Amino acid sequence: MYREFLTVLRREALKWVRVPIWVASYFVVPILYLLLFGQAFDLGRLFPPGADGSVYVRAALLGAPNYFSYFAVGMVAFVTLTASLYSGTGILFDKQLGIHARMTATPAPRSALFAGSLTFRAFSAAWPAFLALGFALAFTGVPGLVGLSVRSSVSAVGAAEVVAAEALLALMFTALFLSFGYVLTSNEAYFGITSLLNLPILFTSNALFPQGTMPSWLQTVTAYNPASMAANVMRENLFPTSGYPYPPVVYLLGLLAWAALLVSLGLYLSARSLRVP
Amino acid sequence: MSDAVTCKNLGKTFPGGVEAVSSVSLDVAHGEIYGFLGPNGAGKTTLISMLTTLLRPTRGSAEVEGIDVVRYPERVRRRIGLVFQRSTSDDALTGRENLEVLAGLHGLSPREARPRIREVLERLDLGEAADRRVSTYSGGMRRRLEIGAGIVHEPSLLFLDEPTLGLDPQGRAGFWEYVRDLRSRRGMTIFLTTHYLDEADQLSDRVSIIDHGRVLRTGSPVALKESLGRDVVLVRPSDPARDLRSLLAGLPGVSSVDPRAGDGEYRVKVARSESFVPAVVRACDAAGVELAGVATRKPSLDEVFLTVTGREYREESEANAPVPAGTTGTRGR
Repeated sequence: MYREFLTVLRREALKWVRVPIWVASYFVVPILYLLLFGQAFDLGRLFPPGADGSVYVRAALLGAPNYFSYFAVGMVAFVTLTASLYSGTGILFDKQLGIHARMTATPAPRSALFAGSLTFRAFSAAWPAFLALGFALAFTGVPGLVGLSVRSSVSAVGAAEVVAAEALLALMFTALFLSFGYVLTSNEAYFGITSLLNLPILFTSNALFPQGTMPSWLQTVTAYNPASMAANVMRENLFPTSGYPYPPVVYLLGLLAWAALLVSLGLYLSARSLRVP
Repeated sequence: MSDAVTCKNLGKTFPGGVEAVSSVSLDVAHGEIYGFLGPNGAGKTTLISMLTTLLRPTRGSAEVEGIDVVRYPERVRRRIGLVFQRSTSDDALTGRENLEVLAGLHGLSPREARPRIREVLERLDLGEAADRRVSTYSGGMRRRLEIGAGIVHEPSLLFLDEPTLGLDPQGRAGFWEYVRDLRSRRGMTIFLTTHYLDEADQLSDRVSIIDHGRVLRTGSPVALKESLGRDVVLVRPSDPARDLRSLLAGLPGVSSVDPRAGDGEYRVKVARSESFVPAVVRACDAAGVELAGVATRKPSLDEVFLTVTGREYREESEANAPVPAGTTGTRGR
């Protein structure tokens, strides 16, 4: 099975590098968000330094030194979601162009076809998130820009937790959208569903806004959102102080449960769609 | 030893009650080129999809290389190659990369696949274009690459679904030569569906004529044509209202006279058209019948089709055949 898996992985990679604008978008989009949205939208600047409001904002950020730092880490979830949104389009187009039928006419295990696409797409959704963190850190050295401030040293365990949180987030989002590619046959239906899910996933998380400023019902939803869990793991490990109720490992377990659920769903739906009619 | 393909009362009814294949029973011997001839919508693609495990039959049974297609689809897929009716290559990849992907999905290692791919590309005259993206290929090159996709893993049985659809006459002739070569050099069994009469005639050892999901007649092209027993002469009087039945029936060697509705033409089956034509011209002249034309036809599969279905064969595309499982869209159709 590994040979078929590697074959699908290689095909995905070849297709990806053949479209330069696709690759470029992975670099440019995080920079644009950090540079335009992140620099302009700083909640702390709404209040004069030392004023009560500013203190309140600092408290809501649960240990982040400033709003940009809070936002930059949240961008990890946002970038991962955005990059994984179109994971299923490749499957959808393969079905429409007959490539999917050609692949299903081979003896390759169906799980290898799904796993190959999932692995490459999840990887390609994960690394731009780290790129976003790198750019945000680099902003600290650019005059006139606010940058990401993190603690002076991050432990090896902490770094591993950050990587694991991002990997799980990329895996589950990619599995979800890949499943839609298998199940749906119409481009319009696919883009309709992704549009429906994109903003609710983002805005029911604490990726961009502090959870404490939300109404209580939204806080409950936000607590179970995997994007919030991933952001919590990263913020707890990257910022000097932390106001989160649970240690990172608890959020990681939550992410693991989400990933297991969505990857299983993807496996089931892809197997169902690949079944001989 | 079992046959390469065996079907018993194989049938498929799609949800909604559309019966694409009614009941097909056939045997294909090892090393045989077996043609499945019928107009579009006759059930050819559905039949091939069932035999290649892309569709599940709703009744009957089928074995490919002695393996049940429903119980062991994966084992069947290892033994067969399939050339689809339309291009299934990935435009973003090169011709070589497309074949590498398929070799990998058949479980071949890069070391095993490399020489095979090189040989296939050379044989298909795609060696020079091998490292160009498929998006730059002509229609004929795409069809050839499609054949390569079907044989790169060296199957013992190759299914070809309307393989020359869209090819020019030169491309079709080249393709036929390649198919014959596959059989003679590798002993490959070929199962071919086509709606081109000449393709079935030229290539196949045996032909089944299918229409409305049923096999109507099976035999070698020569045997099918000989079964008609006669040449056909088309006699057209200048006056379409003139009744020539008794005149024609009285001529020597005539076995049947069939007036064709509407156009005043008569189809006359005779033992030898060469001796009948002068006789009919003399007889009409003597009877004062002016002829608009006389044409002879040697028995053809067209005649066989007409005889078994009662209607003329149409080669024009109706593009309403079921599409293989898991495909949508219209490219290349």
